[in-house]
Amino acid sequence: MSLRNVLIFSALASTAALAQQPLSIPLVKADLSKPDAAAAVWGSAPAALNVMLMGQPMITPRPETTSTAEVKVQAVHDGTRVAFLLTWKDPEVSEAGPLGKFSDAVAIQFPVKESDVPPPVMMGAKDLPVHIFHWRAQYQRDAERGKPTPKDLYPNLNVDMYPMEFKDMGALPAKGDAERDPYSPGRATGNPQAYAKSGVDEIIAEGFSTSSVQEGHGSLAKGTWANGEWRVVIVRPLKSEGGNVLAPGGKTFLGFAVWQGGQGEVGSRKCVTMMWTPAELGK
Amino acid sequence: MTVKNWQIKRDMAYPYEEHRPRKQWAIVFDLNKCIACQTCTLACKTTWTSARGQEYMFWNNVETKPYGGYPLAWDLRVLERLGRQDWAKNGTYGGKTIFESAPANERALHWAPSDEDWMYPNVGEDDCAGGSVGAGGAAFTTMPHDKWFFYLPRTCAHCTYPACLAACPRKAIYKREQDGIVLIDQSRCKGYGECVRACPYKKSMYNPYTRVSEKCVGCYPAVEQGIQPQCVVNCIGKIRIMGFISPPWAARDDNPVDYLVHKKGLALPYYPQLGLEPNIYYIPPMHADRAYLAQMFGPQAEGAIARYRELAKDPVAQGLMVLMGSTDRIIHSFKVEKGEATGFNEAGAELTRVPVTEPVVERAAWDEGASATRHNTP
Ligand code: SF4
Ligand code: SF4
Ligand code: SF4
Repeated sequence: MSLRNVLIFSALASTAALAQQPLSIPLVKADLSKPDAAAAVWGSAPAALNVMLMGQPMITPRPETTSTAEVKVQAVHDGTRVAFLLTWKDPEVSEAGPLGKFSDAVAIQFPVKESDVPPPVMMGAKDLPVHIFHWRAQYQRDAERGKPTPKDLYPNLNVDMYPMEFKDMGALPAKGDAERDPYSPGRATGNPQAYAKSGVDEIIAEGFSTSSVQEGHGSLAKGTWANGEWRVVIVRPLKSEGGNVLAPGGKTFLGFAVWQGGQGEVGSRKCVTMMWTPAELGK
Repeated sequence: MTVKNWQIKRDMAYPYEEHRPRKQWAIVFDLNKCIACQTCTLACKTTWTSARGQEYMFWNNVETKPYGGYPLAWDLRVLERLGRQDWAKNGTYGGKTIFESAPANERALHWAPSDEDWMYPNVGEDDCAGGSVGAGGAAFTTMPHDKWFFYLPRTCAHCTYPACLAACPRKAIYKREQDGIVLIDQSRCKGYGECVRACPYKKSMYNPYTRVSEKCVGCYPAVEQGIQPQCVVNCIGKIRIMGFISPPWAARDDNPVDYLVHKKGLALPYYPQLGLEPNIYYIPPMHADRAYLAQMFGPQAEGAIARYRELAKDPVAQGLMVLMGSTDRIIHSFKVEKGEATGFNEAGAELTRVPVTEPVVERAAWDEGASATRHNTP
């Protein structure tokens, strides 16, 4: 750990008195099956909690500055699902695509194991896994307008032919993805990145560089951007197999991260919460 | 961590511990013979990068120095960031590597190439550098040439201390124990592009279709079967040989790569000062500008050229040079005797045998039998 990080940690330890306010997640009668930032339920939910973020300070590569200092959080549940509305300032929409263009994104993190002492807030640790719900503008674009082809990203692109895909297939039987994917190693190895996405990824991590994307457990997300602000709703079932389990009347902890693609933020270049936000579910 | 880097003759800082693989993949290129036919580039492209998202991707490329670069000015841009650095008189590098000069938030000193940078695979293809034509005499009568250029074929260097691997926060890049080949785990990469930024040689590339980074795989499926990579076996100029290099303290005189690099000091790593211990080695082009070569290959460049010019006096080295391009198999050891050079595989079985000097047959210009003039067109 660098001296800089040691200083940050001692600073944090001494400000423990300023610990994050708890988030209350009331039980509501509302349809939470579709994520919607404009839904009436957000008007009647408790006022948003301001959660402080800072440029990820732990591991390199790190962001130069704190681009997103705050995310506003509201949450409600209906007994089976919990919905979060996350709002933060971002001057432009970034959906990634070509080389060096990165996506706006947000993530909520929960501890997997129930305990009064949560795991390390930076993506957990060995045997102290965390369950992350990660929304990306790039993946929402996939869902809404299709996963971009090279031609979408580079309209002037010129290519003679691709393997198993000729202008005139002649007598050859038409080939599909199964025959073409071996030429695209990302797809051939089943990397979730390489396929069209729904908008939200569920991830289990046990510390930095360990995250792995899980098969969807029914979480949904939808972001809208207007006037320099992202409003993203992430909905997840209270229960999830192998992940974080919530119950009405129960407690949990929340961590947050925001990426501004336009600022070149991706991966470990992100703004994060440095402490957990306690949360209580109403019944 | 502190690791040993023999190419700069000193210890250096690296984010991980020193760990040398059992064997280390390496290619030697004789730059005096490359004709920039790009057959290697196409051999690689047709084998590995013909699919969507790889349209402009060349894991092997050949660029004309000093101006060409894929991506544009990759070399100048990293050298510029590094600033002036010097080698000590005794051949030790006294400057800083890209790891030692990494900014506080980064793992290496680097720059991020843009799409435009990759779009011109060899700008300056036909442009010479050098002094004035009016300086007296023809430019080609002086050595090194007054006006000069040379072709630089490049693959990934499967570095001993890869910057791509060091920079990946997901640890999705690994170096194989059995051959030192550096691979990006295609199932774990998340396309952050940290390796694309960090590799000073710019040999990690982004595939916007799979949204994952990709790089030269050293033709590992061939190498696993004792076969040399596609860009090597298809080389028209027979300028390349792929084999396994030992560190200097374990070098074997009968290992072709060790012989060229360690024993004879003919082939040199490029930009060793960056600190990656790259494993592609070049016999410097003897007609090019010496100051430029010293910048690219370090203080040994001058000596390597002098030794290259003495090659005719060394039948062993000469024999080894004719083994280049004479078999598609990986030569683990070789011997030269009775005017013949022989290459052997790992088990010691003979792979190929070639005369060190081809027999010369002179035939009369007029063919009596056919009543025709002979000419060389086949
Ligand atoms: S095939 Fe050989 S001679 Fe031709 S460009 Fe490549 S390295 Fe040079
Ligand atoms: S040349 Fe670049 S991509 Fe290849 S191993 Fe070295 S650092 Fe990695
Ligand atoms: S070793 Fe194989 S993958 Fe690498 S550049 Fe050569 S042909 Fe391409």
